[in-house]
Amino acid sequence: MPKRLLHFFLFWACLAGSAGSGAVSVKPQEVLDLHYGEVLFHFYQNDYFTAITHLLAAQQQNQLPHHRQEAELLLAGLELSYGMLDQAQARFERLLDQDTDRELRNRVWYYITRIAYQRGRHQQALETLKKIDKPRDRNMRAELALLNANLLMETGQNAEAADVLKHASVPERWKDYLRINRGIALLRAGKIREGQAILDKLGDQRADNEELRALRDRANLGLGYELLRKGDAEQARKYLNRVRLQGPFMQAALLGAGWADTERGDFEQALTPWLALMKLSGHDAPVQEVHLAVPYAFSKIGDNQRAKYFYKQALDFYDREQQYLADAIQAARSGALVALLSQTDNDPETSGGWLNEPPTLENVPSGRYLVDILSGHPFQETLKDYRDLDYLEQLLRNWLKNIGLYHDMVEARRLAYEQRAPRVRQRMEKQEAAALRQRWQHFQDLIQAEHRNGDPLHLATSKEKQQWKTLQEVQEKLAALPAEPRYRKMQQRARWLQGTLYWQIQSDYRARLRNAENQVRELDTLTGEAVTRHTQVNDALADIKAGFDGFDTRIEALRQRILALLPRIDMARRDAGKQLQKLALKELETRRQRLSSYRLQARYALARSYDQVSQQPGVSGDGAQQ
Amino acid sequence: MKALLRGILTGLLIWPLLLAAETAAPPEKGISDDVQTLKQEVLELNRDLFLLEEELLFPSNTQISIFVSMNVGEFFKLDSVKLKIDGKEVADYLYTQRELEALARGGVQRIYIGNLRTGDHELVAFFVGKGPHDRDYKRGTTMTINKGLGPKYVELRIVDQTSNFQPEFEVREW
Repeated sequence: MPKRLLHFFLFWACLAGSAGSGAVSVKPQEVLDLHYGEVLFHFYQNDYFTAITHLLAAQQQNQLPHHRQEAELLLAGLELSYGMLDQAQARFERLLDQDTDRELRNRVWYYITRIAYQRGRHQQALETLKKIDKPRDRNMRAELALLNANLLMETGQNAEAADVLKHASVPERWKDYLRINRGIALLRAGKIREGQAILDKLGDQRADNEELRALRDRANLGLGYELLRKGDAEQARKYLNRVRLQGPFMQAALLGAGWADTERGDFEQALTPWLALMKLSGHDAPVQEVHLAVPYAFSKIGDNQRAKYFYKQALDFYDREQQYLADAIQAARSGALVALLSQTDNDPETSGGWLNEPPTLENVPSGRYLVDILSGHPFQETLKDYRDLDYLEQLLRNWLKNIGLYHDMVEARRLAYEQRAPRVRQRMEKQEAAALRQRWQHFQDLIQAEHRNGDPLHLATSKEKQQWKTLQEVQEKLAALPAEPRYRKMQQRARWLQGTLYWQIQSDYRARLRNAENQVRELDTLTGEAVTRHTQVNDALADIKAGFDGFDTRIEALRQRILALLPRIDMARRDAGKQLQKLALKELETRRQRLSSYRLQARYALARSYDQVSQQPGVSGDGAQQ
Repeated sequence: MKALLRGILTGLLIWPLLLAAETAAPPEKGISDDVQTLKQEVLELNRDLFLLEEELLFPSNTQISIFVSMNVGEFFKLDSVKLKIDGKEVADYLYTQRELEALARGGVQRIYIGNLRTGDHELVAFFVGKGPHDRDYKRGTTMTINKGLGPKYVELRIVDQTSNFQPEFEVREW
C-alpha cells in the first residue's frame, strides 16, 4: 500500500476522533480524479452519508481510475464513521492483508476495537484487538493498553487488566492514566494493598494542569470510598480530604468524608462537610443523600430539636424533588424528550449524526435530571441512530416526491417524442442520405473512368461545352455549303478555334481531374457521415422509445424500494425512540426509587423522634406531634 | 438507628466507586444491527436515485459540471465564486468556513451542473475574497470551452504562486 495512502488514512483516523495522540500533519491530498475530490469535499465536512453516496456513484460509473484502492479504503473509513461498524470491518478485512503497512493495519483495528468496545460489543472488540500487532507508535501503545485493560475489566479479568497496564511501555504523559486504571483494577481484583499503594502515590503527587488534578481527585475519591467500604474510615478520610473543593468530585468527597467521620463515631465532625454539601444544588445524588445524613448526625449527638427540624426540611425537599422527577418521567414517557433531541442541533448541510453541542433541555421539564443520562455512551449511540434514521426517512420521503416528478418528466418527453417522431421517420424514409451516397458513387465511377480513358472534354466547364457545341454546329453548317474559297477559309477558321478550345481544355485537364478527385473525396466523408447519421437517427428513434420504457422500469423499481424501506425505517426509528425512552426512564426510575427510599427513611426517623420525645416525662402526645 | 445507617450506606453503594470503569449497559444489539442494515440499503438506493436523477436532468451528451479546487490558499482567502456561461449567471456561491477547510485539505467542490449544447461556449468565473495583506480581492478569468459529445468537466483551480506571493486562477478542462 502506498505511503501517501497510509498518511492519508492516519489523517482520517485522527479526524475520526482519536485522543489526539497520533495527530499527523498531512499535506492536502493530491486529487487525480475530480469525483474523488468531490467525495473528499463532503468527507472533510463530516457529511459521511453524502460522501458515501458520491463515492458509490463514482465507483459505479468508473470515475475513479486513479484512486481505486484509496476509494475502497476511504469507503471503509466512511462506513466506520457513519456507524456501519460491521460493513466497515468486513471491508477492512478484505483490504488489509499482511502486505499492508503494519502501522496502518494497527490503527484501523484499533479504531474498530474502540468503537466495538464503546458499543458494548466486548467479544467483537476482543477479537479485533488480537489483530493489532505490536504498534511502533508509543502513544498508540498507551491507548491500546487502556482499551485492553477496560475490556478485560468488563469481562471480570481484573488481575489480567492490572498486568497489562503494568507491562505497557508508554510515554511519560500517559503513565498517570495507566496507573489510576491499574490501581482500580487491583482493588477490583482484591489486591487492596497494591492498589492502595498506587492510588496513594498518584493522589499525593503534584499536578501541573487541570487534567492531572482531576485525575488525582479521581484516584483519591476511588480509594477513599473503597476503604470506607472495607471499614477503614481513618484511612478513607485521609484520601477524601485530598479531593479538591473546587473540582468535579467535590460533592461525593464531602459526603464520603462525613460518612468516614460517623464510622469513627465523630458525628459532630461529620456535620462540617455535610452542612456545606447541603447548601448546594438539589438534583445531584450526594446532595439528596446529605439531607437525610445531617438530621441523622444531629440525632446521634442528642440534638433532637435540630434533628426534627432537618428531617422535616428533608421531607419537604424530597417532596419537591419527587415532583420534579415525576415531571421528568412524564416528559420522557410522552416522547417530548426524544422529539426535542431529534430536532436539536440539526444541521441541514449534514445528515443526522451526533449532537454537536449538548442540548439545553430548557423545554424539557426537569431536564437537569437528564444531563447525566444524555452524556452516557449508550444514550448517545442510540440517539445518533435515531437521528440518522430520522434523516433517512426525510430523505426517502423527499425522493418519493421527486420520483413522481421524474415520472412526469419522462411522460412529457415521451409525448414530445411521439409528436415529433412521425415527421422525422417520414423524412428518414425518403432515404436522402442513401440517394446522396449513390450520387457520390456515380461521381466516383466517372473519376475512375477518366483515369482509364481520359477525355478532357468530360471535365470541360459548361461554358466550354457550349462553345464546343457551337463550333461543332458551325462546322456542320459550313460543310453543307458549296466548296467556295471563302467558305473553306471559314471552315479552317472554325477548326482552328475548336482546336484552340480543345487545347485550352486539355492543358487544364490534370488540374481539373485533381480538383474533381478532391471534391469527390470530400463528398465521400460527407455522404458517409450522412449515411451514419441516418443510421444513428434510425437507431435513436428505436432507442429513445426503449429508453423511456427503461426509465419507467427503473423509476418504478426505485419507487418500490423506497416504499419497502420507509416502514422499516419508521419501525427502527420507533424502536430507537423506545430504547431512548427506556434508558431515560430507567435512570429516572432509579432516582425516583432512591428518593422514595430517602423520604421513607426520613419519615420513619422523624416519627421515631416524636416517639422518643413523647416518651419523655412531662411531654404529651399532642405536643410531640406539633 | 443502625438500620438507617445501613440503608444510607446502601444508598452510597449506588455511587460509581470505581470511577474509571464506565460500565453503562450498551444499546441493544438488535437495534444497532437493524440500523446498520438499513443504512446500507438506503445508501445503495440513494446512489441509484442519484444516478437516475443525473441521467434524467443532465444527460451525458449535454452535461457540463464545473468544479472548484484550491491548493493551500495562503495568499487568497476565498469568499465567493460567481460563474457565467455565455453571459448568463449560473452560480453565485458563498463559502462557509467548513467548506473552505475542506477545499484546503484537497476536497473538490462541484459548484455547478447543467446542460449545454455541443460547440464553443464562453465561461467567465469571478473569485471574490481577501488577497495578500488582507486586501479585498476580486479576479475574473475567461475561457472558451468546447462542449463535445459526452459529459464535460471543468476545474477552476486557485493556486498559490510562490514566485510573486499572489494567487493564480487556473481553468482546466478534463
